[in-house]
Amino acid sequence: MAEAILFYALAALTVISAVLVVTVKDVFHAALYLALTLFSLAAIYVTLGAYFLAAIQVLVYIGAIVVLAIFVINLTRTLTGSAVKLSRRWVIPTALVSALTACLIAVALIKSGMGTAMPALAPDDGTKLIGKQLLGRYVLPFELVSVLLLSALIAAIAIVGKDREEEK
Amino acid sequence: MTITLTHYLILGAVLFALGVYGAITRRNAIGILMALELMFNAVNLTFVAAGRWQAAPDGVGQLFALFVIAAAAAESVLGLAIILAIYRRRLVVNADEMDLMKH
Repeated sequence: MAEAILFYALAALTVISAVLVVTVKDVFHAALYLALTLFSLAAIYVTLGAYFLAAIQVLVYIGAIVVLAIFVINLTRTLTGSAVKLSRRWVIPTALVSALTACLIAVALIKSGMGTAMPALAPDDGTKLIGKQLLGRYVLPFELVSVLLLSALIAAIAIVGKDREEEK
Repeated sequence: MTITLTHYLILGAVLFALGVYGAITRRNAIGILMALELMFNAVNLTFVAAGRWQAAPDGVGQLFALFVIAAAAAESVLGLAIILAIYRRRLVVNADEMDLMKH
């Protein structure tokens, strides 16, 4: 019972803040609501027993990605203020399409009945399990991710740094 | 009132649909990137929930969510760098005004 209340509260918080992320006018406020969404998702990961992932979610998503987005929002603020309008033309068809997509997936899930299973028992130590998998069977993707991050870093410096040299 | 896998998957589906809505309706390119992050997180939630309901949990659901987070970080860094570079050259942040490559 407590589990259900916790899930519904966190799910409601996640969905409401996600709606605000995509509808609110000021993109800066949207970034703050995105942080709230990501934080409540981290709480949902905790209810799923994924403690390590919850910590990574807070550190990487809120600590790095949202902060970076806020930096760029402030760097690209025009003098006329944050004139961030939604394109009104597409709001109703898009809302319809995305609502129907959600309904389609939800109905398919309910019909398939794969969710009728009872919640599994808590694993002994999920973090240990991830560590073993990461340096065992999945060591190649793990190394590739580090190459990906390095190339993203170099590319970001190449893209943003080039402009400054040309100004001089 | 038991919470089943379906509950988590439906939450993921709703989040993904909200991300799609945001990615199409936002004009600001940073807003589009944030909607993309929402979609990444919906997928992560699906991975983690599905991994939790495995018969013999081996942590692979969480592992793939970790890989998605790393890919999302790289994507977000590159996207924001491109937005910043375009803003410096042309003073636009709206995606529909970035039409330099339009024929």
